[in-house]
Amino acid sequence: MQCLLCNRQLRFELTIRDLLLPTKIVKPLICDDCQQSFTPLTGQTTCPGCSRPQEKSVLCLECNKWRNAYPWQLTHHALYRYDDAMKEFIQRYKFAGDYRLRQIFISEFVSAISKSQVDMVVPIPVTEQTMRTRGFNQVEGLISDLPVNRLLKCRDKEKMAQSKKNRRERLASKQPFILTNEAAVRGKRILLVDDIYTTGRTLYHAADLLYQAGAATVISISLAR
Amino acid sequence: MISEYYGRRVLVRRDQVAPAGVQVLATIKQQTSEIYCLRCGQVTPKESAALPNGEFYCPRCINLGRVSTLCKFYHVPEPNQFEVTSPLLTWSGKLSPLQASAAKQVKEGMLNHRRQLLWAVTGAGKTEMMFSGIAACLKRGERVAIASPRVDVCLELYPRFKAAFANTDIVLLHGRQELPYHYAQLTICTTHQLLRFYHAFDNLVIDEVDAFPFAANSALFYAAQQATKGDGGQLFLTATPGKYLLKEMRQQRLMVTYLPLRYHGHLLPGIKLHLARKWRKKLGKVLLPPSLVRMMRQTLAANHRFLLFVPHVADLPVVARACHHYFCEAKFTTVHASDEERLAKVQAMRDNDYQFLITTSILERGVTFPEIDVFVLGADDGVFSTAALVQIAGRAGRSLSRPVGHVGFWVAGHSRVVNAAVNQVRYMNNKGRQCQNAMSAL
Repeated sequence: MQCLLCNRQLRFELTIRDLLLPTKIVKPLICDDCQQSFTPLTGQTTCPGCSRPQEKSVLCLECNKWRNAYPWQLTHHALYRYDDAMKEFIQRYKFAGDYRLRQIFISEFVSAISKSQVDMVVPIPVTEQTMRTRGFNQVEGLISDLPVNRLLKCRDKEKMAQSKKNRRERLASKQPFILTNEAAVRGKRILLVDDIYTTGRTLYHAADLLYQAGAATVISISLAR
Repeated sequence: MISEYYGRRVLVRRDQVAPAGVQVLATIKQQTSEIYCLRCGQVTPKESAALPNGEFYCPRCINLGRVSTLCKFYHVPEPNQFEVTSPLLTWSGKLSPLQASAAKQVKEGMLNHRRQLLWAVTGAGKTEMMFSGIAACLKRGERVAIASPRVDVCLELYPRFKAAFANTDIVLLHGRQELPYHYAQLTICTTHQLLRFYHAFDNLVIDEVDAFPFAANSALFYAAQQATKGDGGQLFLTATPGKYLLKEMRQQRLMVTYLPLRYHGHLLPGIKLHLARKWRKKLGKVLLPPSLVRMMRQTLAANHRFLLFVPHVADLPVVARACHHYFCEAKFTTVHASDEERLAKVQAMRDNDYQFLITTSILERGVTFPEIDVFVLGADDGVFSTAALVQIAGRAGRSLSRPVGHVGFWVAGHSRVVNAAVNQVRYMNNKGRQCQNAMSAL
């Protein structure tokens, strides 16, 4: 067995617990060094709006701006900091397209999603163009077999990826999504799922659509912030 | 540009329409429970190669751009469209008689598109020996590549070839290369990059075949095979051929040219084995094997310097403590791969500031100190491969002023890897003796 990220040989020893108790044996996918290179956001003081790590648990500057722009506030939860290790991971998983790497965070991400009390889980979609070249939706890859409602679709067949724009261009981008089934949303508590939260633009666009269709509450989660 | 596809396999999206004259090749062959990548030739179980919607990709060669069922290859058979400007060889150095005869054999093999191995001892001047052969091939309008498993070897070869073939277009390819690819008669690349080519080269040279980390594995030979034309020639250069090459040699699928003597005409120092039972346990009591201490004393008394290799970084402080105990007046230090002062320490050793260095296998290649002895404590440890041990032994006796040296391996028991290294040196020295006799008969 090798570490999925650095190819180092993984040592895995069964404990007496594994042998005696009828629990599922979880084999490690990455080595300890790689695991420690990621920075979890759990246990840190963060902005309640967007999970940005900061000294006090109050809305950050950016979230205040969003608050002025929309009549509601998104509550976002992120698992990891979007630092160099996470950037490298996203680069290899999403952009180089190494679909195997999704396994690394699946169990953690799925358990975080199932903890939230919502009626439906809606992943952020990718364009048809991306689906043809990348072959997968990176968000759905991260949540595996969890039942989801694919209520959102990309408006255009091709769009310029947010990741290729700078901050100002990102914030200025227009609504990229359409809602496929407005009736299904009415009065529901919805969890939006994305891979990375950068400016919040994408998630606010998606949440806006859902609120307009009459969703009760919309919260969001991402792997990295 | 269509020349971009000459002798290459270029990944494009599946739904693109191929330009005229371009062949379309498949990317992945699906078997019942596995997929077979048609670029790198490796097999992956379907479950770890699956994408949604019944598509597959190859995780093995993903560093070169992902091969998946969502794409296809463009390929144009190599047309050899080169303009040859003479003089081809702008190198004016001279070869020793021994080198010259080896170079002649290599040239003949290359012109006849043979599959051959140049087995030359460490520090024999291999690069210069291939110049005349390559020049002859280029003159016939052939496409030639020089590949190595190590980037640093490629980076070092490129300027030397640029100087030696000043009138020939050369392209350098490796993972961190930022210049775009262009069609050139001479290609210098890492063996990974060979996978981008398909039946392109009339002659392919692979330098340092057995260098870490992609030491002569089947993937490397697959890459070499599919990058060479069906009737093309291959030349492998190494000081320490591994299992595969030795087997090919025995089965006579490989023509071998030996260069068993160093440039100064002396044999390699033979490896002496010493038994050191439970040396790690005794190190805990600050004890080194007595025979090792004796050898170290001898070397220091003769005013020579030495390198002491140990298997692991964790062994360094313990061995250093024991050395302090035995040689309280000697000047020495320890150095390992991630040592921040590594370069400074190596330089200090060069400047004669230290009498010996205790090190892990980082100094196995490339680093040369004159007039040294080499000792390896725990040579039978799993970290040392045969190739590494031969390279380590090859650090001794490099200079004309002291062409001999002591090489000692301390082992806890018999080990096939160590014996293979001892035998390889012995084998080359037998060849070397024959050479010496033949030369003195002239």
